[in-house]
Amino acid sequence: MSSVYDEIREAAELSAAPRRSPSRPLVRVDLSTSSIAAEADRLWEALEPLAAEHDVDLVRVGTLGLSWLEPVVEVERPGFGGGGAVVYGPVRPEEAGQFLTAALGEHPLEDAAQWLIGARTPVQGVPSLSDHPFWAPQERRLMQSMGVIDPESLDEAIAAGAYEALDRAIEMEPMAICDLVLSAGVGGRGGGGFPAGQKWKFLLGAQSQTKYLVCNADEGDPGAFVNRVLMESDPHLVIEGMAIAGKATGSDYGFIYIRDEYPLSIARMELALAQARERGLLGENIFGSGFDFDLEITRGAGSYVCGEETGLIASVEGLRGMPKIRPPFPAQKGVFAEPSNVNNTETYANVPLIVQHGADWYRLHGTESDPGTKMFSISGSLERPGILEVPFGMGMDELLLGCGGGPPDGHTPKGIQPGGPLGGLLPASDLGLKLERPPFTERGVLLGSGGLILFDERASAVDLTKYFSEFCEDESCGRCTTCHGGSQRLVEVLERIMHGDGREEDLERIGVIDKTLQNANCLHGQFTPYAVRGLVNYFRDELDVHINDKRDPAQVAPGLTRYLITDQSDPRLEEAATFCPTSCINRAPVESDDDEEPSDELGDWQINEPQCIHCDVCREIAPDAIRVEDRYLTMLSVV
Amino acid sequence: MERFAGLLQQLPRHQGEMLRALHLAQEELGWISRDAIRLIARHLRVSEAQVYGPATFYAEFRHSPPPKTLVTWCSGPSCRVVGGDRVRRIFEAEFGCHMGENTADDELGLWLGQCNGTCEKAPMVWVNGRVVGPLSMVDTVKLARGLKAGDDPVTWPERPIKIAPATFVDAESTYGSEHADSGPDGTNDGTV
Repeated sequence: MSSVYDEIREAAELSAAPRRSPSRPLVRVDLSTSSIAAEADRLWEALEPLAAEHDVDLVRVGTLGLSWLEPVVEVERPGFGGGGAVVYGPVRPEEAGQFLTAALGEHPLEDAAQWLIGARTPVQGVPSLSDHPFWAPQERRLMQSMGVIDPESLDEAIAAGAYEALDRAIEMEPMAICDLVLSAGVGGRGGGGFPAGQKWKFLLGAQSQTKYLVCNADEGDPGAFVNRVLMESDPHLVIEGMAIAGKATGSDYGFIYIRDEYPLSIARMELALAQARERGLLGENIFGSGFDFDLEITRGAGSYVCGEETGLIASVEGLRGMPKIRPPFPAQKGVFAEPSNVNNTETYANVPLIVQHGADWYRLHGTESDPGTKMFSISGSLERPGILEVPFGMGMDELLLGCGGGPPDGHTPKGIQPGGPLGGLLPASDLGLKLERPPFTERGVLLGSGGLILFDERASAVDLTKYFSEFCEDESCGRCTTCHGGSQRLVEVLERIMHGDGREEDLERIGVIDKTLQNANCLHGQFTPYAVRGLVNYFRDELDVHINDKRDPAQVAPGLTRYLITDQSDPRLEEAATFCPTSCINRAPVESDDDEEPSDELGDWQINEPQCIHCDVCREIAPDAIRVEDRYLTMLSVV
Repeated sequence: MERFAGLLQQLPRHQGEMLRALHLAQEELGWISRDAIRLIARHLRVSEAQVYGPATFYAEFRHSPPPKTLVTWCSGPSCRVVGGDRVRRIFEAEFGCHMGENTADDELGLWLGQCNGTCEKAPMVWVNGRVVGPLSMVDTVKLARGLKAGDDPVTWPERPIKIAPATFVDAESTYGSEHADSGPDGTNDGTV
């Protein structure tokens, strides 16, 4: 250890001591995007004035990953049950006072039982969090400090070990770091899986005075929020990883490209950069070693295709984020035409751990093709959506049904959507697949960047495919006609099928579009047909029913279904009519025989079908009186 | 506009500052006006077309003034599989405008948002940046009509929270259904 780092570490440990071994109770509140969506910020406001009264310290932390229990609060009481930390949730803002009194009282286990989740560190009499099905199979390496340290405190990060690996790496030869990362086998976490060490060697070998690093935090895949959690809960891990990469590749400047949808990530990363600079962990002559490195943040502006590395580079340069044909690869000609290296946020975050613990430790978990652990964000039809870190090679069923608890309310899994819009679709029978790249690639889908969405029988595979195709069409940069034209045709065909105009030759047409799209210049176009290929391969029955029988088994396609009133006597129809956004549920006055005196009597309730937008609000109110029927079947039976 | 022009001067004159300049314009002015494009072009020493290109490429930049209350609809798949598209149709019908448009009086507007990973709130919308969800269809109609009537979106009262119970491997009976009852109201069980 260099003496400079030693000094920094010592000072940080001293300053973070009250939080690491508290003398009075500590209340940690999870303040991250997910928890703020569940009003954790209001909870914080409610707790603040109560803190002095209860003699506690209030600390902001990142997320533990228990998204479905947000807002999560952790209470650490010195001397209580061994002094461990107990996790509670969800604590509603209006319950703040009641909660504090209960959790800090004599019998928290009974009084605060309604919020109790488990003990993160052992507390006598409290079930351990590690026995919780969501937590049990996890191997938390990247997430080790998440939800424990204050992401806005550099002292706490350093006291927890941040920048120790950088100190070690700075004294290593660049090639030795590249070799170490290569032998650990960490692959590109954006989904490509290309060995990071190899990529770094390309940049190290590039002949140029200026070399740039780029961190891809443009996490555009809907349903994936791994990078967001990393940057919000442990920003210094990412910065440290990039600084080590800088040393390994001979680069002294980097860009972190964060999508604009993550304002909290941008704010926390900006703060972390400023803190690191002030402490001399970034900037010139780091730890007195002569190594210079600095970073800046580029804020994206809502473009999915900027997640593609050449598109990302164009965006950093301030141009339209349109991908370019490779070669030249970024290591030859990247940002502002200088050699560059683009890695995913999670890839960089793994590096400090490898330098710290070595390649063999890193390979303790994971598989031959994908060593190490991976963070996954799981959502969709799940009892327990959230974010967790597990070793590569774990069964997908263990993750989604075990940790995630499977679909709620007794619904049955129908399929999985891995890897974002370009990742494809899998049927529920593939739930047993191991979470590593090869089995997914064999099935014609992508494991991607860590988003897994489970859907149940209520969702329509055709509708989902149409959504993904629309997404790809919308996000196509527009350069290649194969891509923007191809995805447009794809959407048209699927739209027609969903409106009951599907034809038998559509399958063949989809095949032609699929083949054409594979000739697109960048991965966006090449991967666009993955979703529809999944539909044809694994949900063929459903597609056939749409095309041949003009029927949607999930009953979501407006063109194939219609709403019918089946029970005129239901009193709730009145309310349903008032809630209808298009006022299409009406009843006309009964025609009177007497022209002079119109009748007050009203006739039957009717749904004016052309106006109906299939929003389902009426059926939510009067479920027994209104039914969704197959449009064409019912029409036939009327005839 | 003057304030924006002043702040713009603080940015280096380099093409790489393009996104920063556009974000600045949107923050200061609410949208990217023709005048803003001209100012950015002059400052960065590029043609107006070179500003117009990125300004129209990225979906976040507006090219018309924002409404007073912006409802951003999440288009993500997690929302989609639990009725997100119905939420969109309700808002479009209630507001009488489509995605990216404002109501005639510019009080309300709709915007197509991308998934930011708060999927446990699906289906959801952001009202002036604040997540509201999970929405039943009845909630959606109430929210849309409340906003039309001028309700303060921040204190919108009926924010339903649906919480799944926490279950332990071995302690199911002890901790099984405690959490299910802890929601503030039970309005989201599909019945009214």
